[in-house]
Amino acid sequence: MSMISVRDLRKTFPIKRHRSGMKGSIASLFRPEYEGEFAAVKGISFEVARGEIVGYIGPNGAGKSTTIKMLTGILVPTSGDATVAGLVPWEKRKQLAQKIGVVFGQRTQLWWDLALIESLELLKHLYRVPEARFQENLATATELLGLGDFLQTPVRQLSLGQRMRGDLAASLLHDPEILYLDEPTIGLDIVAKAAIRDFLQTLNRERQTTVLLTTHDLDDIEQLCARIMVIDHGEVMFDGELNALKSRWGGRRQLIVDFASDPDADIGSISNGALEVTQIDGPRVTIAFDRDAISAPDVLGRAGAFGEVRDMSLQEPEIEDVIRRMYEGSVPIRT
Amino acid sequence: MDRPITFREELRIAGRIASIRLRGQMAYRASFLLQIFSNFLINTAEILALFAMFYRFDTMGGWTLSEVALLHGISMVAFSIGDMLTIGMDNVAPQIRSGEFDRVLTRPLSSWMNAATSEFNLRHLGQLVQGVIILGFALSRVDIAWSIDKALVLALAMISGIALFMALFTVEAIFSFWTVNGVEAINAFTYGGSDLVQFPLHIYGRTLRFLFLYVIPAGFITYYPALYLLDKPDPLGMPDWFVLLGTPITVLFCLVTAWGWNQGIRHYRSTGS
Repeated sequence: MSMISVRDLRKTFPIKRHRSGMKGSIASLFRPEYEGEFAAVKGISFEVARGEIVGYIGPNGAGKSTTIKMLTGILVPTSGDATVAGLVPWEKRKQLAQKIGVVFGQRTQLWWDLALIESLELLKHLYRVPEARFQENLATATELLGLGDFLQTPVRQLSLGQRMRGDLAASLLHDPEILYLDEPTIGLDIVAKAAIRDFLQTLNRERQTTVLLTTHDLDDIEQLCARIMVIDHGEVMFDGELNALKSRWGGRRQLIVDFASDPDADIGSISNGALEVTQIDGPRVTIAFDRDAISAPDVLGRAGAFGEVRDMSLQEPEIEDVIRRMYEGSVPIRT
Repeated sequence: MDRPITFREELRIAGRIASIRLRGQMAYRASFLLQIFSNFLINTAEILALFAMFYRFDTMGGWTLSEVALLHGISMVAFSIGDMLTIGMDNVAPQIRSGEFDRVLTRPLSSWMNAATSEFNLRHLGQLVQGVIILGFALSRVDIAWSIDKALVLALAMISGIALFMALFTVEAIFSFWTVNGVEAINAFTYGGSDLVQFPLHIYGRTLRFLFLYVIPAGFITYYPALYLLDKPDPLGMPDWFVLLGTPITVLFCLVTAWGWNQGIRHYRSTGS
């Protein structure tokens, strides 16, 4: 059974015309004028099965948040269908809220002036979690996320990493079937990131919690997500396994060549279907090449015709590069 | 839990949340008491102004100090309780601006209940204490021939008053779904209204009277009940049954407010301001 099912989901925002002055703003209040529309999500479709961890990635303004807001029932789509845990989110918002956990990395759902434990107790009432279940979940979260040291600390005094762990624990008290995470590791140090990733993996393994994760952190993706969806300009550009993405888009290795002095300016002319000079920075030249079409010594040999080579290094394709190239190409690919 | 939440459960949850939040505030006892005390002092100014006025004049529009104090008491008690129960509404505008309002819609509560309970404190307890003192002062000084009818009228005036002010604080929040500018202007009607109806309505001109009876029905929860309690004839010559209008007109006002709130939420969910 699909946990999340999305069919041709579309969201268009009207762009309001701004009128100046007191009179203008009163007029806009009662009779707004629109100067056009902005299509944030342009008819996307996908399915997420129970227990999947899906990385939902794309540049800022690509439509990620808008999609998630529709799938939590915060926004009503302009057209299209979706069901989450069997419910239409925007029609059964309150019921759905009981089945999902939402973590916005930048904002907290805890109360600033209360101790962490008090915030969690408040949420226990809010989500009608039975006492026994609450204690069990609290114990698990305390153990796996190490909350013990700061349960009694007011939220405003927590470090970002502590707060984030508190937020994660808070979003899971009511045993949600689906967890939406928006940039859960943003701004965290390596230790906190690792703790959070471990926790998510354990949760997913032991409870089959479905996770939809938006992130700019490519380590998050590499370590957590077997499947990724790339969205840009409101459309799904890629939906499939991380490895498939890498081999399709990221077959390119990089050869970094250091010349003794600046090489001939026309070194760029060696670019062809198999290799490409991507950067010239004084005597340092970066050449990306397709490993299936040309070998590294061959590339080095061709570059050597333009100056005296002093040193070189070889880099394996990085997912960062893969995704950057996808955005640049902007060609929808489905597998 | 799979079953949709009931209204009674929402109320119970709201009560629990309020008590947890209060417990948190009580932890800082000195600051808590100081806040209430300062709120009490601020409102003392209003009372002093009233006494100062009656120091110069014996009556106002034919009403004695104690009689005007009755209007003050009803209005202040209703206002402070209504305010306390909807403090969270003050957060709606900034929450919409910052995007925090999204969080309200990811909770398994109705959006209004969730927004209203997003904040709770007893800061306004000072004003409530003040109102209760004034009301007590008035009731002990004025000559009321008490009957079941009169007790009922006073009780209904109180309850309707609380509901009316809760609705007024909600109205301010509703506007912020469409515009972030000038929402504070609505304060003129909330705070202004509660101040204005602390004096006998017939001392005002036609426009103000109309505004605070038929647009914002605050006059129906102080003036007409007070006329009835004091067995005064209505100088405006309205029929006797006007005293009964407070509650139905407040219910109507709340229904319109609820409709407006839902429109606001709908607007938010379609534009995601």
